[in-house]
Order: sequence, then structure tokens, then C-alpha cells
Amino acid sequence: MNKGNKYLNPYIGGILLGLVLLVANFISGRGLGASGAVKSTILAGVKTVAPGHYDNAAYYKEYQEDHKEKSPLNNWLVFEMMGVLVGGFLSGAVAGRLKLKVEHSPRITSRRRMIFALLGGILFGFGSQMGRGCTSGSALSGMAVLSLGGFITMAGIFGTAFAFAYFFRKNWIQ
Amino acid sequence: MNTRIIISIVFVGLGLIIAAVPQNVTLPYKLTAEEMLVESNNRVQFYSPEEIAEIIIQKNPEFQLIDVRSQDEYEKFSLPNSINIPLTDILADEYRDLLHQDIKRNIFFSNGTVNAMKAWMITRQLGWENNYVMEGGLNYWAEVIMNPIPPASTSPNEEIAKYEFRKAAGEAIHGNTSIKIKASTTIEIARPPIKRKNTKQRVQGGC
Amino acid sequence: MAPLVSYDIISQNTNLPLAFAIGIGFGWVLESSGFSSSRKLAGVFYGYDTVVLKVFFTGAITAMIGLLFFSLFGWIDLNLVYVNPTFLTSAILGGVIMGLGFIMGGFCPGTSFCAASIGKIDAMVFIGGLFIGVFIFTEGYPLWEGIYKANFQGYPKISTSLNLSDGILALLVILAAVGMFWAGEWAEKKFPQAEY
Repeated sequence: MNKGNKYLNPYIGGILLGLVLLVANFISGRGLGASGAVKSTILAGVKTVAPGHYDNAAYYKEYQEDHKEKSPLNNWLVFEMMGVLVGGFLSGAVAGRLKLKVEHSPRITSRRRMIFALLGGILFGFGSQMGRGCTSGSALSGMAVLSLGGFITMAGIFGTAFAFAYFFRKNWIQ
Repeated sequence: MNTRIIISIVFVGLGLIIAAVPQNVTLPYKLTAEEMLVESNNRVQFYSPEEIAEIIIQKNPEFQLIDVRSQDEYEKFSLPNSINIPLTDILADEYRDLLHQDIKRNIFFSNGTVNAMKAWMITRQLGWENNYVMEGGLNYWAEVIMNPIPPASTSPNEEIAKYEFRKAAGEAIHGNTSIKIKASTTIEIARPPIKRKNTKQRVQGGC
Repeated sequence: MAPLVSYDIISQNTNLPLAFAIGIGFGWVLESSGFSSSRKLAGVFYGYDTVVLKVFFTGAITAMIGLLFFSLFGWIDLNLVYVNPTFLTSAILGGVIMGLGFIMGGFCPGTSFCAASIGKIDAMVFIGGLFIGVFIFTEGYPLWEGIYKANFQGYPKISTSLNLSDGILALLVILAAVGMFWAGEWAEKKFPQAEY
């Protein structure tokens, strides 16, 4: 355990995280999520910018058939993610961690860090849609309700990251 | 003692308890007669022809259409991608895995709704879930999807949109030539709106 | 009996503000556990910091055990709780792509939002990437619709697939988690990293 930092003990943090997830299931009958909010924002954006395309392209059409007459932004995950921004900010403010910066290993430039962050984001965004959920929605929440798919996705994410860790070690360690 | 050891002991203890107790069995396995009445009054078991048209067009893998008429009738005409389980064979062992599972939703259909409803009631009474009925059966399907009647031009927009959807769906599924299957006289009943969405339902989720 | 929404104890309109409140809790916990730092997150893959492993698995087993006990006491109807559908092909493929994104970007979607909220610019860039990635998926959907919908398995629980009771499976998951915690702390000692 890292001494000297002001982070919560990870096990206590984990229990609190589990309790939040439990409350979400108890109240709303569903787990937590993140990438779904990005999807909703994209959908709302496409709907505003190109309504014709929104009504015709295959993906948006299927979405509309599944979610009739609701605005894509009027969505549980969108509200939850707005909460995450507020909650993260409050916690950072209390602990004095608010600071505009690019965090990277001293061995790489911040430019390199940004390029990899962008590439990683693109892959993660694509993968989360393919896998029907990200680390929070599919892996964490799926594991809590013992979903087979959740376990598979979790194994996929962590297994692949471990397998490729060696190739990207320069970015993080040496 | 460090946190990891405390946490480990607590969780393994809780895990042993939960592994030792039997799973909650208080949930009813079968429906009581009252529940059955409520379900059929709420029309929770119905899928409308429009919903089914969407399922067929999208080739939605979460559904299986099941024709409960006789094999002869099935071979003459049926819906695309449907399978045939004649009502008389509904309890046969070979179909048990199909009807009693929690993977796909089965939708029964026959010419009217009577035989499909019989299939639904039998399976529902056995406590098998995931079985549903196509509203109005093939007769109603022929009426609204294969040969929809254009509404008067003064009709509300909603009616016109509905007609256009039906027409487009019919063409997508059965081709442009509207085949007229011989619809035996249907008894037109007032159809209350399907209320499936309001009943207790698995919450929508996903990331 | 819960879920409260399914039993109409609270309405859909109350559900959304509650989602916001749940989100605040989620964001707070992530940030205060250190998930706002990509270098802490990536640490798990090199062994120098296994906070992800500890928080993630403690969270999952807490919620899992909680749900099972709630169900045992008859407080929640697990049949009404959302269980993710399993599409085998896309679950594996999606997981692999996400894993690659994780090791390159150092965040996952939830943690990137949390990190962006305290001013990490790399997290904001990562979020930009997320939007691009999701957009590529929705626009090119016809190209991968087949893979996306292949191998549908229903909404199985892993316990049902392995023919075990939920309780026994939960115990196995807990034992696995405890083993990983032990391995994690061992790795932290073995691969120390200077202050970061």
C-alpha cells in the first residue's frame, strides 16, 4: 500500500463501490455503466445534426425501434455519468487533487501520452459497443449479477491488457 | 492485522454462509389461477403484428416464432423463419428444450388466437417462461400487414404512419405481390391496447 | 420488495434524479480510490500498483454477496434485475478490443470521466477518443452487425452454465478474489515503482 497518499484504502474503496452498485440494483434494477452515456450523446448529436441520417442509417433505426419516442439523452446512464463528473470533482476538491495537467510517465513526452490516450479511447469506445458494455457496465455490473457475458468480457479486457502490457511498457514503466 | 486479511476472512465467511443456505425458493413456481387471470386480462402475453414484423425484418435472434397449427397448414403457408410445433405435440419431449428455456422468447401463432393461447396457457401453467402469443394470429396478420387498408386522407397522422409502416413491412416480408391467403371469417373483437410495457418487467439496462 | 422501479414504488421520473445521485457516489468512490490516475490504473498490468484489482474485485464481490443476501431475505426479486445478455462472439471480441484500449489509453470509460472531472487533460483526450470510437461503431454498423449479433446465448448466469448454485459460485468467486488480492500485494512488493 502506498504510504503518504491521501487515497482511500483500496479495500474500503471497493466495499463502497460495491455498495453503490448494490444501491443501483436495489433502486433501479440495473448496474452501473459509462460507455452507454457516450452512446446516448452520440445518438442525440446525430439526431440534431443529421435527422434524415438518424432515421435511415441501420444502427440508429434499430435503436429507435427499441427505445420508442424517448430522447436519447433522457436516459439513466446519462444522468448517472453527470453524477460521476460531480462526484469525482467533489472528491478531488476535498482531497486537493484538482489540477489541469497531462499525467504521464517521466520517460515519455506528454505528446506521446496524448496520442496513446486518443488511440486507446477510440479502441475502448468501439470495443464497448461491440461488447455491449465497458468495464463498469459489462464486467463489474455483470459480475455482480453473475452474468456469463460479464465474466467473459472481464476476462477479455484484463487478459488482453496483460497480454499486451509488454509491448506498451515504455509508456508506463521503463 | 492488515485490511486484506480482515476483508478476506469476512468475505470468505459470508461466502460460506451463502453457499450453505438453499437458494430463495419463495418465488412461486406455478401461477395461481388469480395470477393467470390478471396476466391474461393485462394482455401481457401478446406481441402485436407490428412488433412481429419488426422482429422478422431485423432477424432479431432473441425471438423464435412458433407455428402451432398442423404440419399441413404450416407447409402451405407460414411466417418466415418460423418453426412448426403442432398444438397436439406441445408436450412432446423433443420440444421441451425449446419451450422451457431462458434464452429466446417464443411467440406462438395460429390462424386465430385460440390455439396459440392454448399453447401459452399450457406452458405458462407449467411455469415455463418466455412464451408469448401473436395478437390476432395469421388472419389478423393477413389483414393488417399483408393487405393493409389505406386510412382516409383525413385520418390523424398517427393512423397514416401506422398504415405506411404496415405496408412497408408487408412488402419487405412477403414481397410486393400481396398474396391473399384464405382468411376464414374472423370475429372482429375490440382490441384493447397491449399493456405489456406497464407490468413488472426486467429493467432495461446495458452500457 | 425491490427493485423499487420495477415494483412502481418510485416512478421513472424519480429514477433519473436518483441515477444522478448514484452517479455522484460512483464518481466519488472512483476518484477517492485513485482511479483518476492512469498511472495507478495501468500499474496493475506491471504489478507496481494493483489498486484496480483490489477495488474492482472487492466491489464486485460486495455487490454480489449483497444481492444474494437481499434475495435470501426476500428483499429483492433477482428475476427482475437486469442480467446482461451473452453474445459469445462479440463479448470476446469486444473484451479484447477494450483490453487493448485499456493498456494504450490507461483509462476505461468510467474512470476517464472521473479523471477529467479533476482536470486530467489526457483523460479528456481519451473521452474524445471514446466518442470517435462509438461513432465509428454506429456509422459502420452494417459492416459488423453479423458479428455483433452472432452466437446469442440468452441471459445466462454463469452459475446456471456451470450447473452450480448461485451461493457456491459466489464462494468460488470470493476465493478467487482473495487469491488475487494476495498475489497483487506480493507483486507490489516485487515490482516497486518510485513515487508517481
